[in-house]
Amino acid sequence: MPRVDDAPPRADHELMPVWQQDVGDYVTSTVFTPDGALCLVGAGSGDAVALDGATGAERFRVRAHADGLLGVAVSPDGTRFATCGHSQSARLWSLAGEPLAELPGGGAAWVEHVAWAPVGGLLATGAGRRVRVWSAEGALRFESEPLASSVTGLAWRSDGSGVLASCYGGVTLFPMVAGARLRTLAWKGSLISLALSPDDKVVACGSQDCSVHFWRLATGKDSQMSGYPFKPRALAWDDEARLLATAGDANVTLWDFRGKGPEGTRPIQLEGHKALCTRLAFAPRSGMLASGAQDTSVLLWEPRRGTRPLRYAFLDDEITALGWHPRQRAFHAGDAAGHVALWKAP
Amino acid sequence: MRKIPVTVLTGFLGAGKTTLLNRILTEQHGQRIAVIENEFGETGIDQALVINADEEIFEMNNGCICCTVRGDLIRILGNLMKRRDKFDHILVETTGMADPGPVAQTFFVDDDLKDLFALDGIVTLVDAGHVALHLDDSRECREQIAFADVLVLNKTDLVPPAELDALERRIRTMNGLARVLRAERAAVPIDAVLDVGGFDLARALEARPGFLEPEYPFEWTGTFTLDAGTYALALAEGPDPSLKLVVLPLSAGEEASSREACERAVRRWAEPHPDLAPGAEFVAGASHGAALVLDGGTGVRRFVLRVPEAGRYGLYTQHLPSEFALQLTRDGVTTLPDAEAEVRGTHTHDEEVGSVSIHLEGAIDEKRLDAWLSKLLREQGNDIFRMKGILNIRGMENRFVFQGVHMLFDGREDRPWGDAHRASDLVFIGRRLDGDLLRREFARCLV
Repeated sequence: MPRVDDAPPRADHELMPVWQQDVGDYVTSTVFTPDGALCLVGAGSGDAVALDGATGAERFRVRAHADGLLGVAVSPDGTRFATCGHSQSARLWSLAGEPLAELPGGGAAWVEHVAWAPVGGLLATGAGRRVRVWSAEGALRFESEPLASSVTGLAWRSDGSGVLASCYGGVTLFPMVAGARLRTLAWKGSLISLALSPDDKVVACGSQDCSVHFWRLATGKDSQMSGYPFKPRALAWDDEARLLATAGDANVTLWDFRGKGPEGTRPIQLEGHKALCTRLAFAPRSGMLASGAQDTSVLLWEPRRGTRPLRYAFLDDEITALGWHPRQRAFHAGDAAGHVALWKAP
Repeated sequence: MRKIPVTVLTGFLGAGKTTLLNRILTEQHGQRIAVIENEFGETGIDQALVINADEEIFEMNNGCICCTVRGDLIRILGNLMKRRDKFDHILVETTGMADPGPVAQTFFVDDDLKDLFALDGIVTLVDAGHVALHLDDSRECREQIAFADVLVLNKTDLVPPAELDALERRIRTMNGLARVLRAERAAVPIDAVLDVGGFDLARALEARPGFLEPEYPFEWTGTFTLDAGTYALALAEGPDPSLKLVVLPLSAGEEASSREACERAVRRWAEPHPDLAPGAEFVAGASHGAALVLDGGTGVRRFVLRVPEAGRYGLYTQHLPSEFALQLTRDGVTTLPDAEAEVRGTHTHDEEVGSVSIHLEGAIDEKRLDAWLSKLLREQGNDIFRMKGILNIRGMENRFVFQGVHMLFDGREDRPWGDAHRASDLVFIGRRLDGDLLRREFARCLV
């Protein structure tokens, strides 16, 4: 009997999750510990929830920031994690959920960003217009002068020798080694996100005026990619620092930084989502890209091979967190309704 | 999904913003309200989430004023949406000297906020005792008044009633759209400041049908029963060196304030009107008006009003009679009007900031309107703070409603005209507006 399906079969291209869990409120971030044992989830309710990396079962939950949690970051040595949110302090926790330290933001502003240095054990926080750097034990090591406006993004150099912060007015590079000078990359625009290439050569920022602005750190030369219909917040670099994935609408736009690019080149466009793409994450090593969107889908791509999605996965609401498993070919995502899931990539 | 309403509270330091804020929070205790404060107020309410933030005003590109927004609001409101128990209402308290433009524009310009929040209204508090000072020397003060959907004249207990009346009239010439409330200690009905629908034109009109009332060149009308003979029109110095008036006969049962009578008065008003010196005579029912000129001498001046035949007459005056202590007397006895009414005047006291409202019969050509508005906003957008309109577009079944802030505007089809009289109304509030030019150019958009 012929019939109409409003949700046509997705055939064998849809991935089923290894596990799925409901943490109860808007997922603001998901991140695995380096050994893959725990998946730490930040929830809009203010809870940090630790899920079993293998099964998704809830291991513990802490009320980290009563009015809302914005960021969770696990230390690279896998011994602790940091949280921040709608409160005036960031917090350090053990992987058993015991509080270790409170890191005050020094004012009325929320601490909106936490980022661990890849090596060296330092943690950076962004609260209002200041960047602070702390030891793994929570001792204040550095406090910046106020920037031109509130910090909107933080990233460490891969060797831990400096931390970059974006805000309205540009990017500031704070050196964490003796004798090096602070560096500013000025841009009269509102930068809303920041991503440093894995080879530390290029810093890219999403901008409120629907463009992506980037600087080559060696020369300080800047360029801009424009033409996005909406502000491109989501940014991701591949492992080789060759492709920068960006999204300012349903399409994922990739810029190739090989050779003299991306200036004068046409970007790769990945069409598949039906609504604004909100999250992007490249897999370590494999070159596979995951993209999450407001249409509740996560799509998997191999952008260097083709522009058709390899696999689809779905949650129940806008995708608000996305990342890759540290050890397996697997990716995890969270949505605005509180769901978190892990899928195996092909 | 219902958008979360946002109310912006502006006003100078000491105007009573924090008092009003605390009243709202106390009386709306069933609601979840988030307050974004840019000054450290003394909000003493526990259940509301109070967020302190620096006002971060960003120019998006090229310093274009319409792209000036509040970055802190974009960030904070975006973050507030990351929780299941959403807020019922957001209050944004600006700093005393804030220009309301960037706050309002933020909700037009930012993609994320546009989808989730609706700017409900701008509430401006003024300290009735001190605002007169600021009106003259502060651009910020004038702009806060011009942007408002609701104006709260606060601390009225400290100001004599006559001064309050004069202040309210002055403020109304600057912003003809706002609802004006008087208050002591910011005690206004909460439903008059929250969910006012100031940026929802259809609702704004339901709440203030006066928006559609025609404007007349006179501010006051009185209905008088007069005997044949002569009366004295006595007046003292007022805000202008002369007072224009028209006196016309009314038909049986007609009030001077009726629309028909006012229209007749407007036609007579438009005729050349002689300047009269004190002592000169003016005939009731003349086919033109007169200007009673006060210069020379001081104290009360008397003009003669000759009534050719007994009957009911309508008197129309450029300003309120109280502003000139105007009295109509016969043999030393004051004749009071049977009825009187204030009408919406178009004149201004040379304010830099003012409003212009235009009523047009006939259908508008959409292409011409587009061309005119784009040119107007490109050239004068900086000086146009707010505009609102309901337009009768040729070939459109529905009313076309639009409203804007500086160069940004948002227009759409509203409900069908149905049996309602199809006509267009347009209001501008801004700085150095040329009302005559705007009227002429708008009239050129007629089919």
